[in-house]
Amino acid sequence: MRELTYAEALREGLRQAMQADPCVFLIGEDIGVYGGAFGVTAGLIGEFGAERVIDTPISEAGIAGACIGAALTGMRPVGEIQFMDFVTLSMEQLVLQAAKVRFMFGGKASVPMVMRMPGGSGTGAAAQHSESLENWFVHVPGLKVVMPSNAYDAKGLLLASIDDPNPVIFIEHKLLYKTKGDVPEAPYRLPLSKTHVARAGRDVTVVATSVMVSRALQAADELAKEGIELEVIDPRTLKPLDDEPIIESARKTGRLLVVHEACETGGFGGEIVARVAGSEAFDYLEAPIKRLAGLDIPIPYNRDLEYQTVPQVESIIREARKLARNEY
Amino acid sequence: MNTRLPVDAIQRYHDLIESLGPDFLKEMLQTMHTIRAFEERAEQLYSLGKTHGTMHLSIGQEATAVGACNAMEDGDYLLNHHRGHGHCLAWGSDVKRMMAEFIGKETGYCRGRGGSMHIADVEANNLGANGIVAGGVPIAAGVGLSIKMRKTSQVCLVIFGDGAANEGAFHESLNMAAIWKLPVVYLCENNQYAMSMPYQKAFTIENISERASAYNIPGVTVDGNDVLAVFQAVSEAAARARRGEGPSLIEAKTYRYKGHSKSDKQAYRTRDEVNQWMEERDPIMRYAALLTTAGVIDETEASAMRETAVATIDRAVEFAEASPWPDVATILEGVYA
Amino acid sequence: MPVPIILPKFGFTLETATIVQWLRREGDTVRAGDPICEVTTDKVNMEVEAPEAGTLYNLLYEAGTEVPVTHVIAYLLRPGEARPERLPSLSAPEPAAGPEPDGARGASVTPIARRVAEAQHVDLRGVQGSGPNGRIMRRDVELARVAETGKVRATPAARRLARQHGIDLSAISGSGPRGRIQGTDVQAALQAQPASAKAAETPHDERQLTAPVQPGDMPKIVKLAGMRRTIATRLQHSFQTAPHIFLEVQIDASGIEALRERLRARNERLSVTSILVKACAWALLRHPWLNATFDNDEVSLWPTVNIGVAVALDEGLVVPVIHHVERLSLHEIQAISDGLAERARNNMLHINDVMDGTFTISNLGMYGIDRFTAIINPPQVAILAVGRIARQFVPDEQDRPVLRPLMNLMLSADHRVVDGVNAANFLADLKAALEEPSLLAW
Repeated sequence: MRELTYAEALREGLRQAMQADPCVFLIGEDIGVYGGAFGVTAGLIGEFGAERVIDTPISEAGIAGACIGAALTGMRPVGEIQFMDFVTLSMEQLVLQAAKVRFMFGGKASVPMVMRMPGGSGTGAAAQHSESLENWFVHVPGLKVVMPSNAYDAKGLLLASIDDPNPVIFIEHKLLYKTKGDVPEAPYRLPLSKTHVARAGRDVTVVATSVMVSRALQAADELAKEGIELEVIDPRTLKPLDDEPIIESARKTGRLLVVHEACETGGFGGEIVARVAGSEAFDYLEAPIKRLAGLDIPIPYNRDLEYQTVPQVESIIREARKLARNEY
Repeated sequence: MNTRLPVDAIQRYHDLIESLGPDFLKEMLQTMHTIRAFEERAEQLYSLGKTHGTMHLSIGQEATAVGACNAMEDGDYLLNHHRGHGHCLAWGSDVKRMMAEFIGKETGYCRGRGGSMHIADVEANNLGANGIVAGGVPIAAGVGLSIKMRKTSQVCLVIFGDGAANEGAFHESLNMAAIWKLPVVYLCENNQYAMSMPYQKAFTIENISERASAYNIPGVTVDGNDVLAVFQAVSEAAARARRGEGPSLIEAKTYRYKGHSKSDKQAYRTRDEVNQWMEERDPIMRYAALLTTAGVIDETEASAMRETAVATIDRAVEFAEASPWPDVATILEGVYA
Repeated sequence: MPVPIILPKFGFTLETATIVQWLRREGDTVRAGDPICEVTTDKVNMEVEAPEAGTLYNLLYEAGTEVPVTHVIAYLLRPGEARPERLPSLSAPEPAAGPEPDGARGASVTPIARRVAEAQHVDLRGVQGSGPNGRIMRRDVELARVAETGKVRATPAARRLARQHGIDLSAISGSGPRGRIQGTDVQAALQAQPASAKAAETPHDERQLTAPVQPGDMPKIVKLAGMRRTIATRLQHSFQTAPHIFLEVQIDASGIEALRERLRARNERLSVTSILVKACAWALLRHPWLNATFDNDEVSLWPTVNIGVAVALDEGLVVPVIHHVERLSLHEIQAISDGLAERARNNMLHINDVMDGTFTISNLGMYGIDRFTAIINPPQVAILAVGRIARQFVPDEQDRPVLRPLMNLMLSADHRVVDGVNAANFLADLKAALEEPSLLAW
């Protein structure tokens, strides 16, 4: 099995989707000639031409609207917002149009579009280029929200998202673009709304998203040396969420830690905690449910401050260990 | 504003009247009556407590709706705005289903889920009214892009108000349509007020159509209460788009008789101003006068159209009132495909 | 200055120790590290050593006295030091960090009790001490807290287990933070006899000493120790309270052997026990009153079949459970069973591995046993004891002797719930399935 980077896996997915279906096209800023700010779309304009790999002016609302209009009328656009932070300029279109058109029209019409965007911190891009806003979109009925945590998942989830007849917010992570993984060459799809148990374990359930999944797995390897076995769960799709494996796992281990980069207050972790606390797993809890998330601050520029703002392998180890040892 | 007798108009439109033929011309007048009757009845139903929420009446703006929609061809797309009952009716929607939607019934175009501001007739390529000012404008660029990529000869008509021309998304959309030569007709229905904001206070330019030059596309201002003027301008723009020459911006200057919505006390304009438009520039009155003077219809026929319209609305209300409410058990439907 | 000799706190939860005997007398010269006194805690005997060289004097307590930990029990004069004029008196000891009299009516409070009281915001003045001289122990603080708030700090898992087993949470000491009762604490409590208290709860009980253990011979804590003891205790209880009936059938194991042979040819391993598990599940689905548990006059008829398979270990018997057998193939049963056996042998069974069993199989065939009777594993209502497969002569249809592999199954059933006829019908179905394994696909 050959290895691809996360970015290459996405590119291959886009290419294969465009090869298979002439209705699929790409639109976004600097995705054509420049190849995308993170290089994901590099080379695609050469293969598919400027009509299908469309460079736009700096017009996020326009990009979103273009995707919606095209999706409403038979096409399958994959838009790119250059940094998740800029999606705020297209919020009206995504939240009030894309998400709601089908429902407002009584179930007629659908908007089969994907909006890709890199989120997250760790590159020193500071507060306005490091956002993790996934929970904003989780909160909007009608949208789907997907966060692939590794190269293999990236391609499979992207192809599934392009196939999905709903608007999908597809959130990549800047720090993951260069990470490698085994990626099958043939097209394949990983089903949306199917939570994945990345690692089985009996002592503590750790639910993590995006870049936190690999950090949790590293933490698990370390803690295994101490005889503490973590079960690491990656929802892959945040909305609609497949919560059964999470509830079952919490019931099994009795201890739950939720880890995400976005700041703690109002973050997706609250959703997981609420679902588990309200489920039958409650009676099997041996410790309070804990969240490990970003601090409630904008992402700082200074490298060390930036590092300390979000969960890292060490902090995951520390929290999981405390839970395992009944220190909470 | 042209308020002179129809004689000038007949001369100007002589060829057009010839080519369109009496049936088509009469149909347009009837539709204008239907729209007005619909709007008046909607107001009445509201005051009787039979509708929920609010509504935005387009009484006085019938010429823009009818002229524009009739200038488009089968297969073309429509995106319109919150004051859109007229556009919807002019596009050929079923009055009964519109009325049902307005009241919130299961048999409405949107199964009661959309309401007045979000009525859509997707099968007829009517991609919906929009509750967000300029909400449909960026979508129109997307539709145009789709048409171009699919290489069909369709055109997208997007109707928005003067207020929308100041939204950022408006500029993004026009710019994109211009650079990519998308087949979109941008029709600005300038009824002089964006809610309470008078046109003069929101713009430094006399005509919104001047903004077209910023994007290097054709722009024209027409009398929005002159149905044939609107028809002509939109036809030309649509033809241009169909030839692959890209988008156009049309400004139709008109006036709304009623407040912005039902809760509008209209403190921002005078009674005199309203009356002046109603009595001297009413679009239905002018068009009826034109057609009678041109000999296309006689007075009796013209006034009978009003009754026909009312009867149509009566039947629509009957249908709507007899229709079932949506079943709460289906409340979760339609969120995801 | 004389050096105080303190009674050490040998264990984390230790509050007191009793002096067994003084090993040295007043006036003796001792070296650093010499044992001077033997004390006993509830578990073990320990020696108190001289902290440095000197002369022992002022032994404050007599043998047989229970002393709170960290109290001074004697003093050492350094070489060359003279005895002080005024001896520290017994009635007002100077503890290094001993209990201070501020409990109710001036009673003293042990350091742990003080800590717990602080953490749980309990006013010590309102606490009744159950220790010597009204001394306030940790348990007293915990009970006081319950009385005050009516609430016990316990995890949801602990509450569920307490509910299920009818245990009063306030009677349990919590090992979690701030005295929180964990599910494992409740499990540990389950091993107690209902009438008497556990050693950890009431350290001040008069206890007989067990055989003295050498200092440093501390027991190794094995994670499931409590559970195995639980099973032993409850088996005894079961045998005494459940009227057992015993029914036996003899199975022709040719079908079983043929199936195993066929699989062996494909390099797949299928044990006799796994086939028994599957066949029992098959038969139990048809006889739900044997797939039941009985507790407090209530019979629970379980919708799933969870079969426990007894596994013998050096330290005793464990019964890991295979859950949802009705959904599993033979292949899956074998895999799960292998996994459980492995974990059992490595002392890594999890609480979930041994819970919710509805029926148990005990197979002593591999030990050469022909037949035996087993004791029902409460709260289940039946257990199957399996003997070895042995070739025997049986008459065929023409009454001629033929050699067949035979296996004896003995069912023990709780006669309060299971009648002879029920049991017989169950065994008939079980026999049918074992003799014709293809029936299992039905």
